[in-house]
Amino acid sequence: MIGSMRWVSLSLFVMLAGVVAAGELLLLPETLELRQQGQEHQLLLGVGDGGHWTGPVTEAIQWASSDGAIVTVDEGGKLTAHADGEVTITATVGDRAIRRRVAVTGAGAPPVRSFVNDVQPVLYKTGCSTGPCHGAASGKNGFNLSLRGYDHFRDHEVLTRQAKGRRISTVNPADSLFLLKPLGDVPHEGGQRFEADSLDYRILFDWISQGAPGPVTSDTAFERLEIVPAAMELQPGVTQPLLVQAHYGDGTVRDVTRWVKFDTSEDTVAVVDEGGTVTVQKAGSAAITAWYASKVALTEINVPRAEAVAPEVYQIAANHNYIDERIHAKLAQLNIAPAALCDDTTFIRRAYIDTLGILPTPTEVQAFVEDGAANKRVTLIDTILGRPEFIDYWTYQWSDLLLISSKNLKDSKELNAFYRFVREAVEENRPWDAFVRDIVTATGNTQENGAANYFVLHREIPDLTETTSQAFLGMSITCARCHNHPLEKWTQDQYYGFANLFSRVRVKNGKSGGNDVVAASFGDVLHPLRGKPKAPQPLDGEVVVDEPGKDRRFALATWLTAPENPYFTRAIVNRVWKNFMGRGLVEPVDDLRLTNPATNEPLMEALCLDLQEQGYNLKGLMRSIMTSAAYQRAAQAADGAAPDRINYSQYIARRLAAEVLLDTYAQVTGVPTEFSGYPSGYRALQLRDSLVASYFLDAFGRPERRQTCSCERTEDASIAQTLHLANGDTLNSKLRDEASFLSAYVKESVDDDVAVEAIFWRAFGRAPTPSEQEACVSALADVSAEERRGALEDIAWALLTSKEFLYNH
Amino acid sequence: MYRVDAEKKVHFCDGMSRRDFLHAGALSYLGLTLPGYLQAKAYGAVNEKKEKNCIFLFMVGGPSQLDTFDMKPDAPAEIRGPYRPIRTNSPDIQISEIFPRTARHADKFSIIRSMYHSGTGVHDIGHQMMQTGRQFLNGLEQPHAGCVASYVMGEKNGMPAHVLMPRPIGPTGGNMPHGQTAGFLGKTFDPLVLNADPSLPDFEVPDLLPPEYISAMRLQRRQSLRAMVDQSVKQLDENPDARLLDESFQQAYSLMSSETAREAFDINQESEETRDKYGRNKFGQSCLLARRLVERGVRFVTVNMFETVFNEITWDIHGSAPFSPLECYEDLVGPMFDKAYASLLDELQGSGLLEDTMVVAMGEFGRTPKINPAGGRDHWPQAWSTLMAGGGIQGGRVIGATDAIGAYPVDRPVTPAELIATVYHGIGIDLETELPSPGARPVPVVDYGTEPVLELF
Repeated sequence: MIGSMRWVSLSLFVMLAGVVAAGELLLLPETLELRQQGQEHQLLLGVGDGGHWTGPVTEAIQWASSDGAIVTVDEGGKLTAHADGEVTITATVGDRAIRRRVAVTGAGAPPVRSFVNDVQPVLYKTGCSTGPCHGAASGKNGFNLSLRGYDHFRDHEVLTRQAKGRRISTVNPADSLFLLKPLGDVPHEGGQRFEADSLDYRILFDWISQGAPGPVTSDTAFERLEIVPAAMELQPGVTQPLLVQAHYGDGTVRDVTRWVKFDTSEDTVAVVDEGGTVTVQKAGSAAITAWYASKVALTEINVPRAEAVAPEVYQIAANHNYIDERIHAKLAQLNIAPAALCDDTTFIRRAYIDTLGILPTPTEVQAFVEDGAANKRVTLIDTILGRPEFIDYWTYQWSDLLLISSKNLKDSKELNAFYRFVREAVEENRPWDAFVRDIVTATGNTQENGAANYFVLHREIPDLTETTSQAFLGMSITCARCHNHPLEKWTQDQYYGFANLFSRVRVKNGKSGGNDVVAASFGDVLHPLRGKPKAPQPLDGEVVVDEPGKDRRFALATWLTAPENPYFTRAIVNRVWKNFMGRGLVEPVDDLRLTNPATNEPLMEALCLDLQEQGYNLKGLMRSIMTSAAYQRAAQAADGAAPDRINYSQYIARRLAAEVLLDTYAQVTGVPTEFSGYPSGYRALQLRDSLVASYFLDAFGRPERRQTCSCERTEDASIAQTLHLANGDTLNSKLRDEASFLSAYVKESVDDDVAVEAIFWRAFGRAPTPSEQEACVSALADVSAEERRGALEDIAWALLTSKEFLYNH
Repeated sequence: MYRVDAEKKVHFCDGMSRRDFLHAGALSYLGLTLPGYLQAKAYGAVNEKKEKNCIFLFMVGGPSQLDTFDMKPDAPAEIRGPYRPIRTNSPDIQISEIFPRTARHADKFSIIRSMYHSGTGVHDIGHQMMQTGRQFLNGLEQPHAGCVASYVMGEKNGMPAHVLMPRPIGPTGGNMPHGQTAGFLGKTFDPLVLNADPSLPDFEVPDLLPPEYISAMRLQRRQSLRAMVDQSVKQLDENPDARLLDESFQQAYSLMSSETAREAFDINQESEETRDKYGRNKFGQSCLLARRLVERGVRFVTVNMFETVFNEITWDIHGSAPFSPLECYEDLVGPMFDKAYASLLDELQGSGLLEDTMVVAMGEFGRTPKINPAGGRDHWPQAWSTLMAGGGIQGGRVIGATDAIGAYPVDRPVTPAELIATVYHGIGIDLETELPSPGARPVPVVDYGTEPVLELF
């Protein structure tokens, strides 16, 4: 049944592919050498357009080897080496053919199986060393392997020495528990993992027969992983097998596809099965990642939309700066037409919310709309960037990042000092690299040097290590504390080298209060498995040599902010970009893993270059972003185009942040929110402490500032929010308050049209449409004098809870 | 965070990969497909036949094992304390004399006498572990078991999936989260918090119903005006977040106008006699309300017996102010629990709902075996007792045992993680279901290899 269904879908592709196959034939990899008896290696035949891979060949392919005694090729294009020599492999499709020379050496003797390069990959791919099974921290049923096989020496010992050596029998390999269990020949909770005639079994069997040798320094070094093809442009419905090659130090290249763990960055666009075959779902972009033996590689798949977009569309679309050029290039690749620019009313509201966290007043909106100057948007941007609310808004953002809260800093003098440090930096637009350097190298009394509170907040070395990476490099290295990072290149050794940069920071009680942060001249953090310290070393930087009187943290700051450190600039660019564009180039915004690429890599690189050239001037970067056409596009897709929430062809609408929403309610109604411990009139964005009680802020997702993670702030809708808007005492009380702007319109002498217009202008910065006007006026006309206030409140409530208000669009 | 983006794969050690069941499930919030829990069932993460409710009765403060459910009458006076054991209607179980009513229902519950945790002996750590199965590390907030149920199973009968009452646990000294939110699952799966005391005469649920000054006519006007205004921003119709918000408004409206919800929270519909039986106090009436909610479709109810341990009489009997004296067990706290717990089991049994409703009565740790100079007992996470009833759990059993002075488990030690695994197992959530967490690390509902206490079933 399943077989016949597959047949149906295959024949469908053949018909589709008939069009595609008109392109050139491509045969990958371009060079190939086999170095082992019996070594297998896949060839991929596809069609291309100017060298770009656009899909597999789905017509019948004839594969032939010029000498079957040296290399045979099966009907699927898989090669097997038999003897030394050189052959030509020919793939023929209809009347076209393409050839590849393949050399074979070292096939004279049976292959020697290496524990590191052969056995460990099998243990991973068959599931043995994965998290749910023996790779769990405590193993399973007394058999414990390192997670995904990174600790070769221990794993080898566990296999050959533990359990009284019963796991391996070199005398009679087939009797090894290590083979009987996964075969299911003896009871195994994990079930059968492979068959006796499989390659996986053969590799383990050979290895045991050869004496179960352990890891040796002569093991060929595994240097690099590669997915072939490296980039593709595919059509929906296409299935494309991938080839994954491991490159070794001695020049050996092996096809390791069958032991790879694949994943997709966007499974609505492309999915990948366990064997590495990609199936394209729909238009969009996706990265397929491959993990093998602690290294990762990725390939990018672009799937253009079916409806072609004329090239002129991108030429005539507004193009203000380098940002638009790169976005248009990506949009052209995917056949997405850019949306039109938004109107002035929308633009001024958007720019205020994203930069200041407030709404423009009706007067400001009107003046801006009526301004006839051609460059009025640029002028507005420059004005906004200089407004005092800018300082509130951005101090709040960086306070989120730095976790400023009385939960963490119980001494209010320390809390105020830290807040002041951030505020002053924002006020003077201190370059981001200088700001971060001030923090990570801070010393002195914490009531005076606010930045030093970073070390009061994060007293434990793992906490400092991981927070520093998360906050300033946008990377979580927490995994590597306990084992090599499963999705990144970071090893446990690198983690403890990095951690050791913080091991000499001491926090002592200050003589006159607060704490004193000082650098000691001794102290190291131990690597838990090795029992001794790793030399201090920034993640992929040089070992730091201790010198008397020199704080290790200066070396850290230098490495952190060096132009060669790609993560530092990407991390801040991505955060700022997301603030304005609604979606990070990388999402989540602080997850800059290699396996989580930017949706537009050239744009990311250009933004980073821009920020570096401007000397880490964040306002400069914001100006570049805000002046781009991309930032000024409507939140609605171009006519007839499907919505796009990834490639910035349109503005990505999102709900107002909790603090902004509460402040705008105060602003619109004219009734300030009272916060305990703060003078009346303080806005939520001016609070220094995330612990100031507010049911509203908590319900709408204010971050608690417990942990450095973008995940703390949430815009998830919840029923508690909507119940609170409907029945709670925040918005309702503001509307009912005597001080509310509505009070001016309660008197019956006020014309209904005037009242309705006033409400619309205050809430939306626009006049009501005729139908809106009519509906609202009739709501007022129907009521008695005493009910008039309620009706006005209801109109205002409807506007203030509508999507047009709750969303920045 | 937009939930549909989240990684929601379900992997199993047997090599099967029941893909993305909640990926599909999340779509339900867009109104596109079946409710999440139906999807979850289809992919094997929820066992439909075993789907049950759960009530957590959190005995905040940490009851003394030696004065409640793990009596040591033969120990020296400074260990055994002032109370005597009494017989129950179950031959294998004796409990403290402070629980005479509970003693008549020992055929319905079993006692785990060997609970322990190896974290620090502060209240918050125990609250985290007992409600989530985990101690929080790296600031990552784990979801409460009820929020996991809400995420995996979804709501039922238009009622919120998880209700917490009367209020969340407040500060108890450690200044750490207590594990009573959806944590990394996101606010959508937070419990509906009652924030009100059902024993008060004017009890009503804040935010659930419109304030008095908003009449039905005004409510109608607000909704129709909002719908009218919303028509002018068509571009947001295709925004998935905005649709979630709309759905949330719809849920709020329907909850506000739901007769079932109104009735469920209307505790005045109970007879005076019934209300008295549970005890006319916050905990007693919360237990009664919990019964009403479960009867009407709420899957999970968490009742906090107290909200703090300071300046209030609680289970936290250090013996000196601002904490409680040991005598409060017989004067106040014991009877308060005894009435409510016995009535809840009795009524659930009477209506047949006990079979489908697991009731867990637990504290966050035990207390020092030796009475301290102030005449109280201090924190002791090395051993304590938990009561389990209903939802397939057999009554009349004792799981585990402690040593002669109730200090350490000597048989069948049980961790908070195993307790939570037992809850999931009982209410029908597959233990290898993975949750979407920040970063790409898969987080199973309980750590791999954590086994439920199967002897209870």
